[in-house]
Amino acid sequence: MPAAYAQYWRINLLTMLEYRANFAMWFVFTVVYHAVALGALYVTMRQFPSMNGWTFREMFFLYALWMSGHELHNAVFFQIVSVPEFVREGQFDRFLVRPLDALFQILIVPQQLLPDGLVLAIVTLCVAVPFAGLKVTPLVVLFIALIVCGGALIDLGISLAVATVSFWFVRVDTLRWAVMSLEQDFTRYPISIYARGVRVVLAFVLPFAFMNYFPATFLLQKQETGLGLNPIVGLLTPAIGLAWFGVSYAFWGAGLRRYQGTGS
Amino acid sequence: MHEPAPIVETRDLRKVFRTVRRRPGALGALRTLFSRDYEERIAVSNVTMSVDAGELVGYIGQNGAGKSTTIKMLTGILVPSGGEIRVAGIVPYENRKQNARNIGVVFGQRSQLYWDLPLVESFELLRAIYAIPRERYQRNVDEFTDLLEMREFLNTPVRQLSLGQRMRGDFAAAMLHDPAIVYLDEPTIGLDVVAKEAIRAFITRVNTERGTTVILTTHDLADVERLCRRIVLIDHGSIIYDGDVERIKSEYGRFRTLVVTFAAAVESPALPGAELAGVQGTTARFRFDRNGERADRLIRIASERYPLEDVSIEEPDLESIIRRIYREGYEQRTEEATR
Repeated sequence: MPAAYAQYWRINLLTMLEYRANFAMWFVFTVVYHAVALGALYVTMRQFPSMNGWTFREMFFLYALWMSGHELHNAVFFQIVSVPEFVREGQFDRFLVRPLDALFQILIVPQQLLPDGLVLAIVTLCVAVPFAGLKVTPLVVLFIALIVCGGALIDLGISLAVATVSFWFVRVDTLRWAVMSLEQDFTRYPISIYARGVRVVLAFVLPFAFMNYFPATFLLQKQETGLGLNPIVGLLTPAIGLAWFGVSYAFWGAGLRRYQGTGS
Repeated sequence: MHEPAPIVETRDLRKVFRTVRRRPGALGALRTLFSRDYEERIAVSNVTMSVDAGELVGYIGQNGAGKSTTIKMLTGILVPSGGEIRVAGIVPYENRKQNARNIGVVFGQRSQLYWDLPLVESFELLRAIYAIPRERYQRNVDEFTDLLEMREFLNTPVRQLSLGQRMRGDFAAAMLHDPAIVYLDEPTIGLDVVAKEAIRAFITRVNTERGTTVILTTHDLADVERLCRRIVLIDHGSIIYDGDVERIKSEYGRFRTLVVTFAAAVESPALPGAELAGVQGTTARFRFDRNGERADRLIRIASERYPLEDVSIEEPDLESIIRRIYREGYEQRTEEATR
């Protein structure tokens, strides 16, 4: 498996070199996408000194934290979005006649992508940490690294669950789109600004709040006013990520069994 | 020397698909959402067969006869609804990954090559996926490159290859890890004559020189005639014939056809000893049993009775034989049994 994984990245690099223009456009798109989001945040925050006790600098950190987990997910697990297409077009069979785990094989389908978004996210995070007034200590760095990994796992759990639905229903584009916009819209601000129902969903159903809001509250030593929880719950992100992934992977297993039962 | 041993064995293999019965129309679609009744479709029933190591078997059937479903169960993609399978001693659906090491699969309509990469990069990725030792990998790539004449396009992105070139690449890709058994699902579909010939030569070679067991499904019976000694015929999910190609030809192919073109239209032409099989314009077709009747006698009678322009004899080819078996399979079997 490590050899296959190394081959995969080598091939990604090669295709990237062959399709330089595509890569350049993709990179520009990624930069513009995040710049627009941060720009919008800046413009909004010029109107108020703070939003529910959060300054622009703190919200910049909030964004950078989400962005890092999300881009780590995109760098490693992006190919999961192709599962419905593989199922629909009958290419999924191929993964079942090779001697490796089907999910792993999907992750290593060459895709002409490099982890440029992740690099961008790490740069943003390096700016955001001191900008938010956090002191850089080894413990803080370790904690942030764990949060980013946990965030990527939360994203993975959600994208895997959406992909698995395609074993039952051929088209899941709408579901994916809905979940994606939820994630993009509700990770920008502290969750305390939303209605209570939304806060509960963001904490316990689709736990995007654990990608950035709760850990940031803990790190920045802020009052948790969203659900009135002790900010220490921010430490739970890696555990929540693992749990989400575990549940999703079990669901994936059920989907796979269904596929092997019906072949469609 | 060792005795050939069965490498693929199935007993009473069965696959039933349960699908939601859809009601017609918009209202029907709405009702389907709420109350689901299911209908069962038997795709494969009671398939029992045994293939020896080193055999080359044609698995033949019409669309929807159950060919692909059987292959999918043998490869471990589908879990059977009943019955037993063993492939090289392994139950495919229980030990899918272990089984995958022993098998190679070519789906004629679905490439496993990576579209945007040079052919050789797909091979490299497969080398890593199957953990093929470097040395063996290189030997196989070299051998297949020669056999399939792939040298000139080894470094071309797959999307730029012709169908024939791509297919050759797919064959090599399926064989890189030295599988003991290869399943070829419609491997020559859409290929031109030259490409078909190259693929057939490769299959023969792999089978005879490497001793690879080959199970081939195809629509093109020329593939079967050219490649297989044994065929398994499947219809409506069940095996209706399993045996030598030659035997089926002599048993079911007893009837030859005399094609007579008259100089002028003849009303209801008849020949004693032959059965009129059809008239089209001034051409009549007579079917006769090669065991009981001689062609020269029939031609002589015909020329005495009618003014003739042309005469020819059609030998049954496998395709027409099999078409007939599908059409009148039961009748034929009775005939075979009473003989």
